[in-house]
Amino acid sequence: MSEPPEPHQPLTPSVFAILLALSDGEKHGYAIMKEAALPAGGAINLGPGTLYGTIDRLIRDGLVEETGLTDDARRRYYRLTDLGERILAAETARLSASLRTARTRAVARGART
Amino acid sequence: MNRPNPILFALYRGALRVYPSRLRLLYQDQMLQTVRDADSERSYSALYFWLYLFADLAKSSIKERLLMISKQILAHPIFFHTFALGLILTLWGFPAAMTLQGAMRSAADQPQIQMAQNYASEIASGKLATDLIPTVHLDLSTSLEPFTILYDADGNPLRSSGYIGEAVPTPPPGVFTYLRTHPTDKFTWQPQPDLRIAAVAQRVDGTHPGFILVGRSLTLVQQQENQLRRGTFITWFSLMALLIGGAALLNRAQSATPRPAAAQG
Repeated sequence: MSEPPEPHQPLTPSVFAILLALSDGEKHGYAIMKEAALPAGGAINLGPGTLYGTIDRLIRDGLVEETGLTDDARRRYYRLTDLGERILAAETARLSASLRTARTRAVARGART
Repeated sequence: MNRPNPILFALYRGALRVYPSRLRLLYQDQMLQTVRDADSERSYSALYFWLYLFADLAKSSIKERLLMISKQILAHPIFFHTFALGLILTLWGFPAAMTLQGAMRSAADQPQIQMAQNYASEIASGKLATDLIPTVHLDLSTSLEPFTILYDADGNPLRSSGYIGEAVPTPPPGVFTYLRTHPTDKFTWQPQPDLRIAAVAQRVDGTHPGFILVGRSLTLVQQQENQLRRGTFITWFSLMALLIGGAALLNRAQSATPRPAAAQG
């Protein structure tokens, strides 16, 4: 039997894109937005309303925190917490397993046709 | 570095009022800075950029507000249960009252249905209308008795026991048109503004074709309907007041109950 999922799983595409953007270090809002919009970052277009609403929930759930560092009073930096890193790793594993299955089945379908 | 269009930027800043106030206090400056940053590196049209920003603000404001409401409801289960109970009572009560009102209106068609059928079959079998329709003069604006009117095939009145003033009322011409293809018709007839009549019209076949109309004032039924409507609303308001009051008292009692010592630590 498989391990029980983390309480926050499955993540929404926006949450996954934000956590993924922060996985290589702290970033401010616009940097998160830019990275999420890239194909490698999830290709998710986040507007400021969606971005900061989601960040607020992630902070309250303890997945993300403010670093306290700022290069401008209007530009604050965020980073993953330990819990955030764990949830991101679990979600990545979950998605990878699904992707493996999908690829295997696609190959099998290709062989049949 | 480009500066965002000042008018659209000011509009966006103003539109932030739709965002929940708690989030606005925390993130307004960062949101505006993000807009400046995004605009300075924008590689697509300004129209699309601003449309997207405003659409995102509208969508996220609705989403955040709905999340806040659901959280508040879940934080106060008593109010949630009260709301659910109130909704069930409303959804059950109002259709029940409407069904009762419909039944009262249907009951108002009796004895006209039976009388119209009897008259039509007796006239069709050769009996004279003068022998059937009573020679009384009912004032429809005051009388609660059933009245009968016989019309010829062209819709002209031949004999009547009901009058408005001294005139025999004539129903809308559509009634006779309908009866030419259908044997009977039931309708609410308003020959004058303050008078509504439950009318049943029947086509008369045979040697003297025509139409028979039997009607009765709806004054009593209207009074009963008004009583029912008033009673329904009073009962609904009382129930809702009791529910809300009870929930508020229960919530206050729960808030005042001291928690066990273990839970406080």
